[in-house]
Amino acid sequence: MTALREALHCEWTKLRTVPSTGWLLATLVALTVGVSALATEVVKCPASCGEDTTKLSLTGVLLGQAPVAVLAVLVMTGEYSSGMIRTTLTAVPRRAIALTAKAIVVTGVVLAAGTVSVLGSVLAGRFILPVNGFTVAHHFASLSLGDGQTLRAAAGSVLYLALIALLSLGLATALRDSGATIAVVLALLYIVPILTELGTLDPVWQHRLQQYGPMTAGLAIQATRDLGTLPIGPWAGLGVLAVWAAAALLAGGVLLRVRDA
Amino acid sequence: MSTGTVTPYRSGQRPGRDDFPHLLRSEWTKFRTMRVWVIAMVAAALLTALAVVALAGAATGGQNSGANPAVAIGPGGEAVTDDFYFVHQPLAGNGSITVRVTSLDTELPLPGGSTGRIAVPWAKAGVIIKAGTKPGSAYAAVMATPRHGVRMQYNFTHDTAGLSGAVSAASPRWLRLTRSGDTITGYDSTDGTHWTKIGSVTLAGLPSTVQAGFFVTSPPLLAPTSGVSCRGAACSAATPVQSFASNSSVSSYTTQAVAAFDHVGLHGQRMKGDGEVGGAWRGGQIGFPTGIRFYCTPSPGHFCAPAAHHGSHESGGTFTVTGSGDIAPYQSNVDPLGTVLKGSLIGLIAVITLGALFITAEYRRGMIRTTFAASPRRGRVLAAKAIVIGSVTFVAGLIGAVIAFPIAVRKLHSSGWASSVYPVWSLTSGHGLQIVVGTAGLLAVAAILALSAGAVLRRSAGAITAVVVLLIVPLILGTILPQGPADWLLRLTPAAAFGLQQGTPQYSQVTHACEPYNGCYPLAPWDGFAVLCAWAALALAIAVYVLRRRDA
Repeated sequence: MTALREALHCEWTKLRTVPSTGWLLATLVALTVGVSALATEVVKCPASCGEDTTKLSLTGVLLGQAPVAVLAVLVMTGEYSSGMIRTTLTAVPRRAIALTAKAIVVTGVVLAAGTVSVLGSVLAGRFILPVNGFTVAHHFASLSLGDGQTLRAAAGSVLYLALIALLSLGLATALRDSGATIAVVLALLYIVPILTELGTLDPVWQHRLQQYGPMTAGLAIQATRDLGTLPIGPWAGLGVLAVWAAAALLAGGVLLRVRDA
Repeated sequence: MSTGTVTPYRSGQRPGRDDFPHLLRSEWTKFRTMRVWVIAMVAAALLTALAVVALAGAATGGQNSGANPAVAIGPGGEAVTDDFYFVHQPLAGNGSITVRVTSLDTELPLPGGSTGRIAVPWAKAGVIIKAGTKPGSAYAAVMATPRHGVRMQYNFTHDTAGLSGAVSAASPRWLRLTRSGDTITGYDSTDGTHWTKIGSVTLAGLPSTVQAGFFVTSPPLLAPTSGVSCRGAACSAATPVQSFASNSSVSSYTTQAVAAFDHVGLHGQRMKGDGEVGGAWRGGQIGFPTGIRFYCTPSPGHFCAPAAHHGSHESGGTFTVTGSGDIAPYQSNVDPLGTVLKGSLIGLIAVITLGALFITAEYRRGMIRTTFAASPRRGRVLAAKAIVIGSVTFVAGLIGAVIAFPIAVRKLHSSGWASSVYPVWSLTSGHGLQIVVGTAGLLAVAAILALSAGAVLRRSAGAITAVVVLLIVPLILGTILPQGPADWLLRLTPAAAFGLQQGTPQYSQVTHACEPYNGCYPLAPWDGFAVLCAWAALALAIAVYVLRRRDA
């Protein structure tokens, strides 16, 4: 336990003192809140009243996950490119503990910044939605975390960001190169949702991709309307992403253990 | 201690050259000798080909109602819509047809037989000379439209503007077509005495006896699935004929147009000594009565869209004609080839990664200092890098696209995407060439954009992510946002360049649901590519500026 505490202290110091951490977290908050506010701003009620307003006001998570992935990847590959990893593993020879410490520190930072981003987005939605016609007259209550569905969507979005960080960290541990890792993470996240929308795709495949793609499944947590028609339920979807993250961490952990640094 | 002059040491080597060809050669050597990069570039080409072919294999035409529609084949061999209500009689030899259009109203048929008034910009009412009554036969027509003024159109794909403004009883439109051999000339006028020529067209192989007369048609309307709003009346009961995708906010509604014609005059040279033709006008539907043909079985809670009316009646020399459909090139809502080419996104992420690494790897290894020591003019170094990575990517992308293209086309046709409906796709025809060269160009310029981002940010992860977010994420946001903002997003971001992969031509005189996931983009293909090039040029300029100011 002491070993883990000391490792956590090391990792926290490393993460805190690298300038990119601050920039990436600031980008996370700015992108998430900014894009959420813009997306909410352009949707007006008489034209598209069928909108899931909670999901709409959390649109920015779609972009906010990109800096999260970069942060989590750099935590591991940054050490490989500078050779720091050998120092780290000398100080913390038990590699499972080193990886666990990194995972905990990154998750903590992302949870904190993610909470700020999501709260900012919800707040922006709360102000913008009524102006755009999503009012009581059109059967829309004010966006509030007091509503169970909205709270689940908001808290789930924060968890989603943390799971994206863990998925990225796991892949980074396995691949060790920042360019290659970030390419794989972004391809997994962003290409699958585009393929599921293609007008030519076999509906069976469309359904499968929506159920098993890390982003398409994970973001089901944001849905608050027509839950019955979703390809995958909110918590089940987040569970799929958790399986992705666990598999990536496990693969990374095993490789870290059996390979020379 | 000896005094006297000291001859400074001079290397026996000849001075190095930093001219541009040598710079290019050194950058090419850097790329060529990194075995991982070469392997990655080959993999990018193969992955692109593989993914496109896999998507074509997973494309089922059978389950897609738009895959194999009943279309007519136009004179140029292309798929066309040729559905309208035609009041006509035969015209032997040369002659002319003239009408005055005094009104043109467009309506939405509602369940229960009533109608609501609604604007249909491309409804058509006018005169037409057609080779016969068979759908798809050659024609030339002059028509009034509600929003696009008077137009002269012929053989489906050609469109010329005449007088502007809408038709009303106070401001009627006189329309005239004359035939002289194979040449048909269109005129319009506001008063029936002062005529303006709109255009003259040659319809090769027109038979000596043609069908001349007047027609009305009204294309299906694209409107929000949640409901249409009509002028005056409530149209909430309107039922869409077709929705395009489960998440699409746009659906298609059948419409009909009603037009009044008077001062109808048909003159033929061979009839009763150059006099007025005395034959009877016959009315009939050409093609299908509605624009889109789908089978609908009513079930509890689900209503079928009411069919459009069609017909004609005459009283006191005024003909009131109702029609529905369109006379236009067939525009598929799904562009099958354009959508399966999204498989190239995998290759795109790979080349973005390589483009960024081409400079960030030098920063990581400190190689950049050697590079700048050998060639102090940094702008030229970056230009050489851009040329090398751009050319290598272009060649790799071209190879991938050339391999994938014919296989994907064959798979699409065999899985039910009718070859008669979509253009003939081949590597040598205009569209095939555009798609293959365009895909390679898209990859090459994306690599240069990534190189510039890498030069500015000096970190591979950040640079790759920035370019992917700019280039690929707009495609996702485009499906979430409403049509208007989504279109702007796909005009302004580098994602506009995906328009290069469109496999079917777009016509401005046809409204259809243009959705990126169906392979349709708001900008014309090469305009979209220009947007990406502008982004790359701007990024390169910023990179040169930053490189010059900063220490390496």
